[in-house]
Amino acid sequence: MINPYQQQLIMPAATQSAPPSFNMVTGATAATKPAAPATPMSASPPATNPLDSLFGGIKDFFTNYGDIATGAAALGLLGTAYGDLGDIGTSARGYATDLANTQLEQTAFKPYTITSATGGQYGVSLGPDGGLQTTMSVSPEESAMTQLLFGGAQNFFNQAMVDPAQRTQNIYGNMLTAMQPEMQRQQLMNEERLAAQGRLGVSSNMFGGMAPETFQMNKAQQEAMNNAYFQAVQQAQAEQAQQAGLGSQFFGLGYLPQQQLINALAPGLTSAAAKQQADLYGANLFGEATMSGIDAYLASALGRANLMGEAGSGLLSSLLGNTGGSSVIGDITNLLSTLGVTVPGSTSSTASP
Amino acid sequence: MAQQLQSINLAAPAFKGINTEDSPLQQDTAFADVADNAVIDKRGRIAARKGHSVITTDKTELGSAAITLIKEFRDEAGNTKVFSAGNNKILSGTTTLVDETPVAYSITANNWKAVNFNDKIYFFQRSYEPLVYSTSSGAVETLSSISGAAGTANVHGHEVLAAYGRLWVADFGTDKSTVYWSDLLIGHDFSGGTSGSIDLSKVWPDGYDEIVALAAHNGYLIIFGQHSIVVYGGAESPATMALVDTVSGVGCVDRDTVQYTGTDVLFLSHSGLRAFSRTLQQKSMPIQNLSASISRDIINLIDTETVSFRSVYSPENNFYLLTFTGQTTTYCFDVRGTVENGSYRVTRWPASTFKSYERAEDGTLYIGTVDGISTYTGYQDNGETYRFKYYSPSLTFGDASRTKMLKKIKPTVVGGNNAQMFLKWAYDFSGAYKTQEITISGSQSPAYFGVAEYNVDEYSSGILTNRINSNTTGFGNVVTIGLEADIDGTEFSVQEINVLALLGKIL
Repeated sequence: MINPYQQQLIMPAATQSAPPSFNMVTGATAATKPAAPATPMSASPPATNPLDSLFGGIKDFFTNYGDIATGAAALGLLGTAYGDLGDIGTSARGYATDLANTQLEQTAFKPYTITSATGGQYGVSLGPDGGLQTTMSVSPEESAMTQLLFGGAQNFFNQAMVDPAQRTQNIYGNMLTAMQPEMQRQQLMNEERLAAQGRLGVSSNMFGGMAPETFQMNKAQQEAMNNAYFQAVQQAQAEQAQQAGLGSQFFGLGYLPQQQLINALAPGLTSAAAKQQADLYGANLFGEATMSGIDAYLASALGRANLMGEAGSGLLSSLLGNTGGSSVIGDITNLLSTLGVTVPGSTSSTASP
Repeated sequence: MAQQLQSINLAAPAFKGINTEDSPLQQDTAFADVADNAVIDKRGRIAARKGHSVITTDKTELGSAAITLIKEFRDEAGNTKVFSAGNNKILSGTTTLVDETPVAYSITANNWKAVNFNDKIYFFQRSYEPLVYSTSSGAVETLSSISGAAGTANVHGHEVLAAYGRLWVADFGTDKSTVYWSDLLIGHDFSGGTSGSIDLSKVWPDGYDEIVALAAHNGYLIIFGQHSIVVYGGAESPATMALVDTVSGVGCVDRDTVQYTGTDVLFLSHSGLRAFSRTLQQKSMPIQNLSASISRDIINLIDTETVSFRSVYSPENNFYLLTFTGQTTTYCFDVRGTVENGSYRVTRWPASTFKSYERAEDGTLYIGTVDGISTYTGYQDNGETYRFKYYSPSLTFGDASRTKMLKKIKPTVVGGNNAQMFLKWAYDFSGAYKTQEITISGSQSPAYFGVAEYNVDEYSSGILTNRINSNTTGFGNVVTIGLEADIDGTEFSVQEINVLALLGKIL
């Protein structure tokens, strides 16, 4: 049989099933207000109290059957009281156990998810092994952007990792292509000058087998080409650094949604902690309230048992008189005490539970 | 009534040399129609040339060949050595010819050119490795064997010039457009230092030509092609030398016709002897035709010459000799001045056996012949006589239409003691000359000014002068006077010729 109090203490379904949530609308986390703790167990006795039937029976017995019945009713009341006292202890124990279980559940870790304003989510749950398991996800748009940035970063890094010499050659070739028309013009002008001076066929070993003007022009062109090459080297290195920088930048930007989600965790975690604290506080209140109810219940039940015992004792006393009856009552009282039921007005010692 | 004799005085006949270009009837009587074995002497008279005196006594190495090259090598210490070439050998010495040909060096041609350069003498001939001699080495060696020689395989040229501190080489077996120059003062280095070359194939003014000769003049490098000339300035630094002038249509016939007279560079072109005149003030280099008086004669000789040309300039004798060795003809150009048509006074030395010339440092003119080396001295050709000839242009006595009857020819000759002289005259362009043989009287040896001044010659009567009076016959409209003499040991010159004629009627 399930105790109705226990039924109430297990947990309000809504409170337990809904994980705490967090709203990022204002940037400040506001943990979903936890469900109100379960209503404390009511201390009012149930409508169909067995003691009522017990006393009704005794009254009827004494009414119908006289002393015998009175005696029997008294014994019955005492027995019932004795039994009820035992049940009360058992119930109290069960209630306490149920309360402990309920509070254990109430104070247990509850999975939660933090959702950012852009749709990113950070969830914490229990894994199959009982450990904490976190999940983090971003919105599809953020995920697409992250993939785009990661792809770009990869491209930039791939380009940055290309051999600079090859890039240098490409840049140098482009620079030579750009320089070629001017070099050809200079060469033609030099040839025309040499031809006009009749020096087109001059070959001087001092100038590498050519005319000094041609040597100077070639030297200048070679210097220009050397400068172009060095510029190409520098350009290739700069481009490599630029590619690496862009790659790093893109790579870093790719983590921005996640970073923003992580940034959103702080208030979320604060809210979750607050919620947890509220849960713990609620559970504490719940425990205290429940314990108060149990205590009240136990006190009520104990009172009723005592009342029933006193009624039984009274009946027995009136039946047995002062001669022999007192010893019988004393025996019953002792018996009830042995059962843990305190008989009001009893002077005999009671047994320990 | 007897008519008065007309006198034509041919003073200093042939003073202007030969002229075969102008019309005989209009010619100045100072020209000559023929002037063989003659020169213009110091007094402007036509005179017999000197002979050649062979000084070679042992020409075993020469054999029966002729000396085709004579070059005097003079080192910095003043030592001289005469080199010659002939019989496919490089020879040395003047009295005894010594074979200087390097061992295992085979020669089959004798058209060498030699130049002195930086204490060495270099020999060049097309397709032959150049040879070099120095006093220190004491032997003629191949150019490539000289220590430090480089690039010599490219310079087996035919023309070489030592100028501006370098050797300039051109005219190769197949390459006719490139001039190579050596490193500065290093005639055996053609690939290092400041050596270099210039290809003229794109410079020729006529599009194509072949290098024949090189000359250095007035700071210019003159490159003679066969039909054109290019002149480069700044040749002291050949890498930067630039074209200054080009001449189209005039080239050089042969490298051995180029001679320097100090003021001009003489060379033989296909149209005759020409010169680059030195112009210090002007940048242009005018070309003169110095053989205008004999243009067609010399052109004929040029066209038919197949052996070689040789020339020499002798400031001591004031002439430039040009010999067509294959035709045994030499023209003598008097360089002291030009006549009104701009040409030198020229005489002809026919039947010349001269094959080469060299003017030595002391002024001695060496002549190469089959007899070895001679000097231009005396009045015999190796002990033999030679004939001096003079023929006047056609004389009209001022009126070609009237008949002339020669009465007397009265030449005044100098020297020629006991020489046989032949007076000749002919009429109307006929070659049938009437001749009168005359023996020049006297046996006195002439004394020369400045020679044996303190000897007996000082007080001799000097040069013998004879005034000859010869009666003549015949008549005609145009008269030609001739005079021939066998030169046999004494000088001979013609001071004047006085012709007396009687003018007749007009025909």
